[in-house]
Amino acid sequence: MLLLQLLVDGLQLGAIYALMAVGFAVIFGATRVFHYAHGTSYVIVGYLFYYLAERLHLAWWAAAAAASAAGVVFGVLLDRWMYRPIQRDEGSFFTVFVASFGIAVVAENVIVILFGASFVSISTPLTRANDIGGGIVISHLGILSMLIAVGLFTFLNWFLAKTDVGVALRALSENPELVRSFGLNPRKLSQYAFAIGSLLVAPAALVATCVTGLTPTAGHRVVLISIAASIIGGIGSLRGAGLGGLILGLAESLAVWKLSTGWSEAVAFVILFAFILARPSGLFGSKARV
Amino acid sequence: MKRVMLAAAAAALLLAAPAAAQNYHIGAVLPNSGPMTSFGELFRNGADLAAEHINSDKILSKPFSINHEDSQGAPQAAVTAMNKLVRVNQEPVVLTAMSGVSKAIAPIGDREKVVAINGGGVAPDLAKLGPYFFNVIPLVNYEVRALLPYLAKEKKVKRIALVYVEDPLGEAVQREISELAPKNGMELVGSFSLPSQSRQFAPIAAKVREVNPDAVYVAYYGQTMVALIKQMRDAGMDKLLVSYSAFNDPDMMALPAAEGSVYSSQKMDWASTDPVTARFVADFKKKYGKTPSFYNANYYNAVWVTGKAMASLEKKGQPITGETIRNELLAIKTFDAVGGKMEFQPDGTVSMPLQINELTGGGTKVLN
Repeated sequence: MLLLQLLVDGLQLGAIYALMAVGFAVIFGATRVFHYAHGTSYVIVGYLFYYLAERLHLAWWAAAAAASAAGVVFGVLLDRWMYRPIQRDEGSFFTVFVASFGIAVVAENVIVILFGASFVSISTPLTRANDIGGGIVISHLGILSMLIAVGLFTFLNWFLAKTDVGVALRALSENPELVRSFGLNPRKLSQYAFAIGSLLVAPAALVATCVTGLTPTAGHRVVLISIAASIIGGIGSLRGAGLGGLILGLAESLAVWKLSTGWSEAVAFVILFAFILARPSGLFGSKARV
Repeated sequence: MKRVMLAAAAAALLLAAPAAAQNYHIGAVLPNSGPMTSFGELFRNGADLAAEHINSDKILSKPFSINHEDSQGAPQAAVTAMNKLVRVNQEPVVLTAMSGVSKAIAPIGDREKVVAINGGGVAPDLAKLGPYFFNVIPLVNYEVRALLPYLAKEKKVKRIALVYVEDPLGEAVQREISELAPKNGMELVGSFSLPSQSRQFAPIAAKVREVNPDAVYVAYYGQTMVALIKQMRDAGMDKLLVSYSAFNDPDMMALPAAEGSVYSSQKMDWASTDPVTARFVADFKKKYGKTPSFYNANYYNAVWVTGKAMASLEKKGQPITGETIRNELLAIKTFDAVGGKMEFQPDGTVSMPLQINELTGGGTKVLN
């Protein structure tokens, strides 16, 4: 019974991690920008959702839509007004990373000023677990998060394979010059990547705000999970990042089956180290791609 | 030679004049950012109110103030802040909070002869931390000793589980419950430790549910404990939750999942008519617009007794240093403080009565 419960918990957690990681992977895969502020998009969406739904009592769907839109706008503006000028001046990969990290720190402090440093969460009966038989419990939101993850991955695979923008985004990661020669604008495509990547982290932020709660520092962990999942799955691989997130969530949960509960999060990173040592390219990463 | 002597004397006078005019000040290394920020605000509010009272009562001949530095709730940052307060600001007294932070800064206080006063950390090893370390809060081992008999007698708890943080506080509670549960007719059916930075607690809830306890003792703190309680309840852990004074946190009180939880704390009667308590409660409500918590009171007391010791030294014409303040605190020993008489013990702790509380309706109800 315990093992089955831990498996169910791990799938729910893995779905949230996968959503976090895939957004990061889309941006990194297409633009090669180490978007540390991806975690900030998560925190902005979460806090805005909390503010609109819990404090202003807006309808949950309207609050979720507005918060997700804010996350997308943040990502796109950051690309346009910060990353692009740095890249235009031939700033290195590391310069862009430091700028992104700086934005994350500033945004964290702004959120503390606006909302305080306290833990916030949204009270909803949807987070309360229900017995589905045999003493196994799962919440409605837990089921929903898994369905959202599956739905979004399916949509994203279709989008990247079948639409012009999707194909162009994949090409951008391989050869930006080739994209230009076809009359496409890499800058524009970069903005699409940021919009999609930021939008993908929104469901994770919305669900996590209700299920686990949120603090202004939560973004750092989102980035950590995203990087770990991307490395496990293969840098730049969308499928890999999703699967990597799922593996991390399952590992965190299943670890406590036989090990001390204190090992839960450590086990996930033991898996990461194992991948770095044994298969540095990750599960699907023979070379970088979206 | 005569000119040199005159110049030296003039320089000494010039240097001495501003020194004499300097205000009295002490330092504070409290968590003003990070996961313990909500506690930091409680600590700071109490301390600042006491400084206001010391100044308005004119118990000292010069204005009194507190220099606040941010510990971030982390030992490393706290040591940096403590070094600044001690070496640059030359503070004779520093307020501290939290067990790990207090243990990190205590050796600096001892070495530099600076008094450190803790009103927030409760790990048992904060007793006897050094001759310059004082506590104005009862330590958690006393709280566990008060709570377990109550749970056994009043709540009929026979099987207790423990979820604790992997640090000196959590480990102390684990030792205490392991020893005291059998003596109170209880069985400790499971002990589950977690690192302080954990964020996902559903697997812990599954483990706790498996051992089927009557009550779950949670020895954690800060925002992580709030998240832990919420996630455990959401994951179907519906047993009685019990804890120590860290449950007296505004975030925890506001959490619907914590409703009905039972916790121990030092005894505090806000309706008391003793002049120190009544004045503290009235002025706190006026300044901050809310009823104080005992954390507010602890830091008020820490600053208030410091002011009293400094005033006593002034009266005796003695210099005000960390060493003289320490000696004066031990010489006076018993102070009129918020909550009643506060008496320092030789091991740096205070003797205080305790009470058992229940979280209900967003506030606290005293059970015993």
